[in-house]
Amino acid sequence: MIGFLIRRLLQAVVVLLLVTMITFILLRAIPGNVAVAVLGPASYRNPAVLAAFNREYGFDKPWFDQYLLWLGHLLQGNLGFSWTLDQSVSSLLGSHLPKTVWLVGVSVVLALVIAVPIGVWQAVRRNGPVDYVFTSLSFLFYAAPTFFVGTVLILVFSVKLHIFGPEGPQGGMVNDITDWKDLTLPVVTLALVTIALFSRYTRSSVMDNLAEDYVRTARAKGASGRRVLWRHVLRNSLIPIATLLGLSLPGIMAGALITESVFNYPGMGYLFFQAAQKQDYPTELGFIIVVAIATVLGSLLADIAYAVLDPRVRYTRL
Amino acid sequence: MHSQQWRRLLRPSYKMAAACCAVLALALAACSSSGGSTPSATGSSSASSKVVGGTATWALPPNSAPNYIFPFASSTYFSTVNFAEFQYLMYRPLYWFGNGASPTLNSSLSLADPPVYNGKQVTITLKGWKWSNGETVNADDLEFWIHMMQAVAPGDWGDYVPGLFPSNISNVKVTGPLTLTMTMDKAYNPTWFTDNELSQLTPMPMAWDKTAAGASNCTNVVADCAKVYAYLDGQSKSLSTWASSPIWSVVDGPWKLTSFNADGNSTFVPNPSYSGPVKPTLAKFEELPFTTESAEYNVLQAGAAGAGQKIDVGYIPTTDVPAKPANATVGPNPVNGYTLAPLIEWAINYFPINYQSTTGNAPVNKQLYFRQALQYLMNQKAIINGPLRGYGAYTVGPVGTYPATSYLSAQGKLGDPFPYNVAKAKQLLASNGWNVVPNGITTCAKPGTGPGECGAGIAQGHQLVYNLPYATGTNWIEQEMVQLQSNASLVGIKLNLEPKPFNQVTAIGGPNCVVAKTSCDWDFANWGGGWSFVPDYYPTGETLFLSGSGANSGGYTNAENDSLINQTLTSASPSALSNWQNYLATQVPVIWQPNGAYQMVEVSNSLGGVLPQSTTANINPEDWYFTK
Amino acid sequence: MTSSVATQDVLPAGEPATPGLPAGKTRSMFARGLEVFLENRLAIAGLAILVLIFGFCFIGPHVYHTDQVHVNLANENLAPGTGHPLGTDVNGYDVLGRLMVGGQISLEVGLAAAVLATFLGTVWGAVAGYFGGVVDAVMMRLVDALLSIPTLFLALVVVSMFPPTETEIILVIALTSWLTTSRLIRGEALSLRVRDYVQAMRVMGGSSARAVFRHIAPNAVGTIIVNATFQVADAILLVVALSYLGLGIRPPQTDWGGMLNSGLNSIYDGYWWQIFPAGVAIILVVIAINFIGDALRDSFEVRLQRR
Repeated sequence: MIGFLIRRLLQAVVVLLLVTMITFILLRAIPGNVAVAVLGPASYRNPAVLAAFNREYGFDKPWFDQYLLWLGHLLQGNLGFSWTLDQSVSSLLGSHLPKTVWLVGVSVVLALVIAVPIGVWQAVRRNGPVDYVFTSLSFLFYAAPTFFVGTVLILVFSVKLHIFGPEGPQGGMVNDITDWKDLTLPVVTLALVTIALFSRYTRSSVMDNLAEDYVRTARAKGASGRRVLWRHVLRNSLIPIATLLGLSLPGIMAGALITESVFNYPGMGYLFFQAAQKQDYPTELGFIIVVAIATVLGSLLADIAYAVLDPRVRYTRL
Repeated sequence: MHSQQWRRLLRPSYKMAAACCAVLALALAACSSSGGSTPSATGSSSASSKVVGGTATWALPPNSAPNYIFPFASSTYFSTVNFAEFQYLMYRPLYWFGNGASPTLNSSLSLADPPVYNGKQVTITLKGWKWSNGETVNADDLEFWIHMMQAVAPGDWGDYVPGLFPSNISNVKVTGPLTLTMTMDKAYNPTWFTDNELSQLTPMPMAWDKTAAGASNCTNVVADCAKVYAYLDGQSKSLSTWASSPIWSVVDGPWKLTSFNADGNSTFVPNPSYSGPVKPTLAKFEELPFTTESAEYNVLQAGAAGAGQKIDVGYIPTTDVPAKPANATVGPNPVNGYTLAPLIEWAINYFPINYQSTTGNAPVNKQLYFRQALQYLMNQKAIINGPLRGYGAYTVGPVGTYPATSYLSAQGKLGDPFPYNVAKAKQLLASNGWNVVPNGITTCAKPGTGPGECGAGIAQGHQLVYNLPYATGTNWIEQEMVQLQSNASLVGIKLNLEPKPFNQVTAIGGPNCVVAKTSCDWDFANWGGGWSFVPDYYPTGETLFLSGSGANSGGYTNAENDSLINQTLTSASPSALSNWQNYLATQVPVIWQPNGAYQMVEVSNSLGGVLPQSTTANINPEDWYFTK
Repeated sequence: MTSSVATQDVLPAGEPATPGLPAGKTRSMFARGLEVFLENRLAIAGLAILVLIFGFCFIGPHVYHTDQVHVNLANENLAPGTGHPLGTDVNGYDVLGRLMVGGQISLEVGLAAAVLATFLGTVWGAVAGYFGGVVDAVMMRLVDALLSIPTLFLALVVVSMFPPTETEIILVIALTSWLTTSRLIRGEALSLRVRDYVQAMRVMGGSSARAVFRHIAPNAVGTIIVNATFQVADAILLVVALSYLGLGIRPPQTDWGGMLNSGLNSIYDGYWWQIFPAGVAIILVVIAINFIGDALRDSFEVRLQRR
């Protein structure tokens, strides 16, 4: 197991390098003069300013040299300085990341707690009325676009009924955590889609496993239905859920851009959106590093979960 | 039938019923939300008593937050939200422009008396107002700023134009504690020099003349300024220290910053040492950031109904405003308890045409009749009455039409020189050698340079096909582009619309591609914002239309235009400005489009003193007061 | 007699349909699957809905002619009435006609992107999971790398380089969606490759390719099918999200997402006919595809079929 972890960590480093290189190539592929896009309209009058910018950030060099320049700074712990937001990238990440982790994290946990039992229930009572109601609700919430759901929720529950706040929690982290009135609607908007997704996969997976031979064998040997269910079926059924949780880790870090826009809650997604629109490369790269780390971590955790959940899974010579 | 089969037949209904119910619920919810509130009349606050104190909240424009506090800002940070809506509250510029809605010099709010011109010499006499640390706003403070410009303006001053201030002055002298003189390199038009050059000056306190090592002497020695600039720029980049910084707390404006968070939430309190004519009545002023217009509107409505954060001065998205009746200045307002105050900026709106295009269309772009034909296809009236709901001004040439100023010529006051007319557009093309194919593609039938022929460099069969990138994010621009595409197709001009993010469009079409060495592979680029006359308040054309200027996006070059512009810079006679703008309006150097409202501002009825708003986008919360 | 679908209720465990000797020759897998599929009323309903919607979108415009290119400002924002059964939108386009034309693009993009993404992801994931070891490591690390690149970023890069046509949007969506499929299928493959029947097949001399294509992939079919149905939904929704961010189809074309997005701008004006037709269309299509996906999943499930 230790060997497995070490190998995976080394691979993680390779992945991070790969991600950043691909990103650099894509960034350089965007046509148009970055200096002009960043420095704004007033800079056109002054070509010397544009040249200075290009020199400072390595745009007058080939992409690989520029990449090494950036990598060098990164290894010294310097993520760079945002070109348009007038703060260091690390302080930007430091202020936006906790907000997003909190919002998306809460909604994922909520979704998990609600969806898995529903999925199991649906599989057990397959084709019953409960199954149909939840299935149709799942489809409905999955199909409705986030900005639509968010806007309607605000209109109904905030502007009309005054139950919840019309925007996400404002102010510092403390407020974000305690202001449940403002937190509810964004969390619900996010959770609805996640619940739909998780419950569908749980249902499908549980159904698959319930039909397996080992279930029949266990019952033939006299095990009760519930014992069969909880001890054997559930563990195996959670494999797709482990995958989905692993996949949701980058989402927890990267935020949900549309929900953040609709609810005026500037987290990581919104930060990236601003940076991408203004071609603020240092911020974009900082964001992508965070997401890459989260992706790799999520993948690793999911793989460990597979091995734990299904003893038949063995990792040989990875 | 078997009981199982009964159940199977009934099962579909559960699913469908559940689905249908949910859809219906959403439908009812959305329907009931709209058209609920009755439009309120545009009532002004009645003459009730002024309440001293209170906290007023103001909504920042969407997706923008102040991010630079040092008034000497470089291009990246040179934005309305930074200076007009943030820095000016604390650090007053030397001359204030904004007399009610008029963008002219406001002596009473300026730090100095109007400048005195004597041939090539200009003398500025300051009034002796106070900084909050006891210093006087004196001639040394002004010299400090001018020296800094002389040292670092080319690279670090966002409004720098090569050849103009401070390169066009010399001999800057402090001749008394409150007087400063300088010599211009020629006898400029005083209005131009005051409005466009002196408008760039902001006195700085001696407390800022330092570096990390201690006091410095940029005020007297230009060579020291680079280090001082670097120090102050560094201080400005450290956002979390703004509210408590000993540097930024030295203010001469009516307000002082007490708290600031990186999202853009700012809180100001009155500066007791402010020497200006109107002192703040409010106890606190807050600026709130928002991600999108819709997000702000949701909060505005909720607040208006009594739930959650109240926004005293906010805005409503243009798409949610009912159309304005033809003869009214302001139409119905869906938000109860608020007054609708559309804010149209002192600006013109257009999109550039690239005369240096490498797409193959450059010869066509250079033909005046083609540009005029395209301008006839731009239906400014329909756009103002439709997507803009009646809240917009026509752009009739290089001088803005709103607010009414003496700068606009008599011809300009007549309105749109090219009102929508498909027949005229067709006639212009047909009479110049084009085979017009409505709903098809128009091609050149008679190449050549004679009368009735297409023009120099245009080949036989050349097609009128253009790509038109435009900025997404503003609804009325998108609709205007769709309309233009549709109108153009009626005369066989094929416009391929390319929606792109704002910054990509400005990067494509903003710079003069030859001067800035960017790609010339574009014909049109519409970022939707045109040009606002802030802080170059006097609308001469040296930055936009003079040959070789970096901001002359399309590389328009016309000798007569150049000579007329040069006359506006040196002649004090109003006819210079008239002659130039009349000439350029019909030359269609760029495609003129409507100047839509900058913001549809909503002012709470319990807050007075907000109106009339300044068309330079300045805010003056020191004028505001709550009423009982 | 009742099929095993109707009585498949796990507690107590369902008995196989008919014990005893099979009667007559065995039918092909396709025929068996079809039978199971056809017994699911919801799937039939879903299929019917899809057929109707496809007909509406692709045949409709030939029957119901509207001008979707020229703006007609005199007719803007008309409520449903004579001449315009679903009213008009802000440019004067007939909403019903626009729904048909927009639907063509939404459906094409959704299906094409999903098919492409599912195929790519399944093959990649199955190969990685089956072989394990270094192959798995390299393939899945590449997936990790590509997963870290945000879709928005990719879309912005593509939009900046090429004008946004349908093909580009399909490619952008497919190239970001295949990654999650590959992860899921790889997880399944890891589990399946140690199942008895796979091991038995290897012992009997079967090749790896046979293992992957004949045994791993079909038995992960439940997950593949569910994932594919969500992919179609995702693709359609992703185009909607891209429209919201300003990266969608360029005018005067549109898709349901673009219609929904511009309709939502008028939510306070009460022009419900600009919002709900597109929204309902999206939801209906997604629901119909899900019904079908459910039934397909059941019909592939070997244990549910009668031989």
